[in-house]
This record gives sequence, structure tokens and C-alpha cells, in this order.
Amino acid sequence: MGAGRWTARARGVRAVAAVVAALGLLATGCGGGSGSGDGKVTIRYSWWGAKDRAELIQKTVKLFEKEHPNIKVKTDFSEYTDFWSKFNTQAAGGNAPDVFQNSYAFLRKYGDKNLLLDLNGQADAGNLSLKGFRDGLEKAGDIDGKLLGVPVGANTFAFFYNPDAFQKAGVTVKDGWTWDDFFAAAKKVRKSDGTLYGASDNANVMYLYDLYLRQHGKAFFTKDDKLGFTKDDLTEWWGRWQQHAKADELVPGKKSEQAKPKASISADLSASEFTWDNFLVRFAAETKTTLDLGPIPTTDGKRTAQYLSSLMLSGSARTQHPKEVAQFIDFMTHDPEVGKIMGYNRGIPATTAQYDAYRPQGVDAKIAAYEKSVSAKLEPITPHPAGADVAEAAFLRIYTQVALGQSSMGKAVDQFFSEAESALGS
Amino acid sequence: MTPTTTRAADGVRPPGGTTPGKATPGARPAPAAGRRQGRRETLAGYLFLTPWCVGILLLTLGPMLVSLYLAFTDYNLFDSPRWIGFKNFQDLFADDRWWTSVQVTLKYVLIGTPLKLAAALAVALLLVKPRKGQGFYRSAFYAPSLIGASVSIGVVWRAIFNDNAIVDKSMSLFGWDVGGWIGDPDWALPTLVTLTVWQFGAPMVIFLAGLKQVPSELYEAAEMDGAGRWRRFRSITLPMISPVLFFNLLLELIHSFQVFTSAVVIAGSGTNTGGPGDSLLVYGWYLYEQGFRNLRMGYAAAMAWMLMLGIGLVTAVLFKTQRGWVHYEEDAR
Repeated sequence: MGAGRWTARARGVRAVAAVVAALGLLATGCGGGSGSGDGKVTIRYSWWGAKDRAELIQKTVKLFEKEHPNIKVKTDFSEYTDFWSKFNTQAAGGNAPDVFQNSYAFLRKYGDKNLLLDLNGQADAGNLSLKGFRDGLEKAGDIDGKLLGVPVGANTFAFFYNPDAFQKAGVTVKDGWTWDDFFAAAKKVRKSDGTLYGASDNANVMYLYDLYLRQHGKAFFTKDDKLGFTKDDLTEWWGRWQQHAKADELVPGKKSEQAKPKASISADLSASEFTWDNFLVRFAAETKTTLDLGPIPTTDGKRTAQYLSSLMLSGSARTQHPKEVAQFIDFMTHDPEVGKIMGYNRGIPATTAQYDAYRPQGVDAKIAAYEKSVSAKLEPITPHPAGADVAEAAFLRIYTQVALGQSSMGKAVDQFFSEAESALGS
Repeated sequence: MTPTTTRAADGVRPPGGTTPGKATPGARPAPAAGRRQGRRETLAGYLFLTPWCVGILLLTLGPMLVSLYLAFTDYNLFDSPRWIGFKNFQDLFADDRWWTSVQVTLKYVLIGTPLKLAAALAVALLLVKPRKGQGFYRSAFYAPSLIGASVSIGVVWRAIFNDNAIVDKSMSLFGWDVGGWIGDPDWALPTLVTLTVWQFGAPMVIFLAGLKQVPSELYEAAEMDGAGRWRRFRSITLPMISPVLFFNLLLELIHSFQVFTSAVVIAGSGTNTGGPGDSLLVYGWYLYEQGFRNLRMGYAAAMAWMLMLGIGLVTAVLFKTQRGWVHYEEDAR
């Protein structure tokens, strides 16, 4: 019996030891921080994009680590919308990446919540140079005096078209053409080619409507973070596109949904489409059709109301290593080698050092020529309030429902205003 | 088994179970020593239970209570939650997209679950009789539900039903031209339903177990009375396996209400909408979108509790109706 008691006691002791050991493991598992003993600093860098960008970014990170042997960069990427879900979750847990890709539409959203590092301090300390940016882009990340992001590349809206189809229809795309000219061209292309629609139905693209509003002296968002147009304005814009869609001149809603993830133009459904000029890189990979870039239609024959938007790098306000973050951003924006590697993948490089280092070939040369042709006409960007991304998603979704015949115009317009206003109000 | 191991096992029992002292009185030499030893073993038991207790407190009960609290707040993940009472719930009922998500989910559950169970039962009936290669077939049919919730299957499904992909092309041969199924608001949901029906392996295995329990004498007797196949199925098989059917139905319903991964992957996770015209906007997806994309965590929490209420209601109704159609063996006695 004595032996039995002894085993029981031993078992109890062992159980306690096991639990203590388990808890100990847990504790060390949680406490493992980034600052390791050998003086090396690790920063996390996350961004959105796909495989092609991943390969380029890995190359630039290797280059950075070689020049800064004391800094290690851990990268992490996902698709655009997934990226933000993940970012929100991490940031809410106080665990946002030290440095991450950002864009104009999100600066205020996260700036208001004090999540973004004010890089002015690091610039003053000499860890980050704000010189040598093209077209005054160094101000792009400036929100109310705080520098919340530094642009790595810039892009602007463009009219994409299939030159062969346009030529066959006898239409020429020229500077100063109007919206009436555009819709007339779409009609002609549709008539001359039975397999192609004249244009993709882009009534749901917030940035295009923003240009249209700016041509009329308004804007999508006002300076005090509200919608800058009325229900009548929106009914007119959506209604105009709907009228041409119903006349079978634009790609029907169902077909463009079915073509996803390709755009209608790269799925060879339509002969023209409006989007950011650096998309030419993507479209060239998706379709064999040659595409050209043309000017945005105007209202008065002059003003396209275009502006440069940009992808940026931002730091997290809670990073333990603001200096290293600033050094990383500095390297990524100024180093000529990085410019050579990235090319126009994130838009045209934002600094002259990188811009000059890279000699654009093929489609990149087309983008460069296009940006040169509009550079004199560019205007300042409209401020994007917090909630702009939610409003954009609603704009896209709700018009798509109209195009699919699921929603009436009146109901759709009301729904957009209610969703957008609640997103901007919060 | 030695007395020591029996007592050790007793000690692991959760509170409220038999106390070790009472369980095997004969095995103990002296009551006092036994009690001391018992206490030690109880302590060891609790210690072994600790990870589980900590788990349920921290990972299940805690989050549930927090979520209940958040459902009554305006919480954007970053600023501290602000108490707003029932406003989230009021907003839900006024939210068109919430109603869309409820409709899409109900359609998915009401069409998908019966089809899935029918497929599971049909294949189980085929596989219950011993035949060559039985093991292989059983594993083959079970395999899809093993990889069930995985993203890869969603990706495969998407590839199969996409524009110009295999389903589209082969259907066109017969003059049925849908185009990309996933991009068509009328066909996107049926595509999602076929995916869940295809994953009938888990209920099938349970049906197989149930079918094996049906005494063969019943069939022999019925056959002697001249009952045909259908008659035997209806009057013997169905009533005999009704408890299993009930169990499967309950499990699959609850599971279906929580559909998320497959819908998101099939519609393309890189998109901002719930599939073409929100036709794939299942409840779980809308909840996720509100919480993690639109930063309305309070609203999402309210949605989660509404889902829980809904599932609870359906379960309660099922339990109420089971008297009418579920036959347990005790009833026969």
C-alpha cells in the first residue's frame, strides 16, 4: 500500500509540475518580443498586392537589409480588401505592422484614430529625406500638419481604349473631347463591331464621378467631410450611363460580373474603360489586345479635373523602432536601385532619383508618356474623409445592383446616401 | 485495473460527480488516510482540469460576455466602446443589407441542408451492404467533408464554375449557356449550395452507423409479408434511423447557418461586395464585413447575437416537433 501512496503523491507533484511548466511556456511564448540580444532590430512591413509585386518587394527588402545590416525586415502581404481587414484586426490589438503600404483614401481614417506615425519628427532628425519628390508630392501625406505617409508612386486617372476598334469605327480620341463625344464614340464602336461593347459601364467608379463633379466645380467629398453632391446630381450621372447601357452600348452588368476578376476591357468585352493609369501593367498581362491611354472627357472642352493620387508608406504610431521605420521609408522612396526594381508597379516613382533611374519600356513607356501629357493640367487632390473607403465600396456595389436590374434608380440613390452618410458620420 | 488507477480516474471528474471516497469504499484500508489521499487526488484532478477551465473562461465564456456587452455599444475597434442601448438592434431591422444577408442565408440553409442530408442518406444506403471495395468508397465519399471548410476547395469550386471554365463549357454543349456561374446573380447561390451538398461525408458516416443498428429481422419479417423496397424503407428504415436523422438535421442546420469561408472564397475575397448583386452575402460574411472592414464591431456583435437567437429558435422548434416524428427505442417498449 505504501508504494501506492507514494505513486499517488508523485503523480500529484508531477501534475503540478506539468501545469507550471505549461504556464511557463505560455508566458515565454507571449513575451517573445522583437528586440533580440544581438543588437538587431526587426521591423514588420506589410502591403497589399499580388505575386508579381511580392517578388519585386522581396528584392528591394534584401537590398535594404544588405545596406542596413542591423535591421531585419519581415514582410507580409494580402489582397487589397483582405489587407485592410487584417490591418484593422492587428491595429485593434495594438499589433499593427511597423511600416505598411497605405493610400490617400485611408490617411484620415487612421490618422484620426492616432494609429499613424507623424514622420515630421523623423524627417527633422535626419532619418528621412523629404527632398527630391516630383510635382510637390512630398506634401501628399500631409494631413493637418502631420506627415502621415510618404508617397512611393503616383498615378492618375486615364481613359483606356482599344485603338483598333476605335479606328474601325472611325472615331479619334482627342484632347478636350466631351462626355457627349465619349458616349457617341461608344455607340459607334458598338455598331461597327458585333463582338465588342463600346465601353465598360464605369458609372460605379467613385474616382471617375469625382472627376466629373470637379469639372462642374463640385467634388465627391467636401472639406468638412460630407458628400459634395445632391441626390439629383447622382441620379443624373447614374441615369446617363444607364441610358446607354439600356441601348446596348455598354457592357451589361451581368457580363462584367461574370468576367471578374478581369476588368471588362481586359476580358475583351469592351473597347474602353476608365481607371488608374498604372493598371495598364496589369491589363497587358491579362489580354493580348493592345491598349492605349487617352485623355479623360471634359465638360467644357478644357478641364479634365485630374489629380495625382499615390501609394504611400506609413509607419505605425506604436512602433518601437520609429528611427528604423523612417530609414526604411527613406530607402524605399529614394534609392535608385529600388526604383529600377519596382518600375511602375506602384505607379510612377515619386522621387526624381527613382524616376530617372528607371528607363520605362513597353507599357511602362506608355504610362510615362501619358503622365507627361497631363502633368501640366493636374489639380490638387480632393481631401478624403474617414469613411471614404466605405462610401466607395457602397458606390460600387449599389450601382452594380442597378446595372444588374436588381434595384431601381430611386431606391439605389437613396440607399447610397444613407450608407455613405452613416459611414462619413461615424 | 488497480484500485489506484480507478481513484485517479475518479479524481479527474468535474465537480458534482461522484466523490472518490464514496466510489470504492472497500478498496481503502483506513477512512482517514483515504480522505487525505482523496483530497490530494482531487487537487491533482483540478490541476489537470486547469487548462480546460482557463480555456473555457478566457476563450469562450469571456469573449461571449464581452460580445454581449459590445452588442449594446458603438465600438470601432480603436476608441473605447460607447453605450448606445438597443440602437444596434434597431439599426439592424432598418438595414436593407442585413435583410439581404438573412434571406441569402435562409435560402442556403433551407435548400442546402435537405439536399445534403438526402445525398448523405442515399449514399449511406448504397454503402451499408458489404461489397467489394466498400472501404475505398466510404473514404472517397467522406474525403470532401474532411477538407470541408478549407479555402482550397473554395478556390477549386471557383475555378470549376468560372466563366469559360469546365462547367460553363460543358453546359454550353447542351445549349444551356449561363456563362460564369459565380458572376451570375441567379446562379451564384446554387453554386454555393452544390458545394455544401457535395460535402455530405460527415452525415453519411453517421447515417451508416444508424443503418447498421436497424435489426435485420425487421426486414426479413417485412419481406415475408410482401413489403417492397420503398415500403421497407419508409416503414422500417426511416423510423428506425429517425434519431440519427434528427441529430444530423440539427447539426447540419446549425453548421449551415454559420457558412462563411466558402461564400467568401467563391465570390472572390478581393472584392468589396457579397458576390454579384450581394447574391452570396451570407450572414457570417456581412457580420465580418461590418466588424472588420467597416469597423462597426458593436453592430457586428449585435448581428452575432441575433444569429445565436435565430439558431436557438430553430433548434427549439426542432426539439418541440421531434415527438411527432423521431422514434426512440424506449417508446416502443
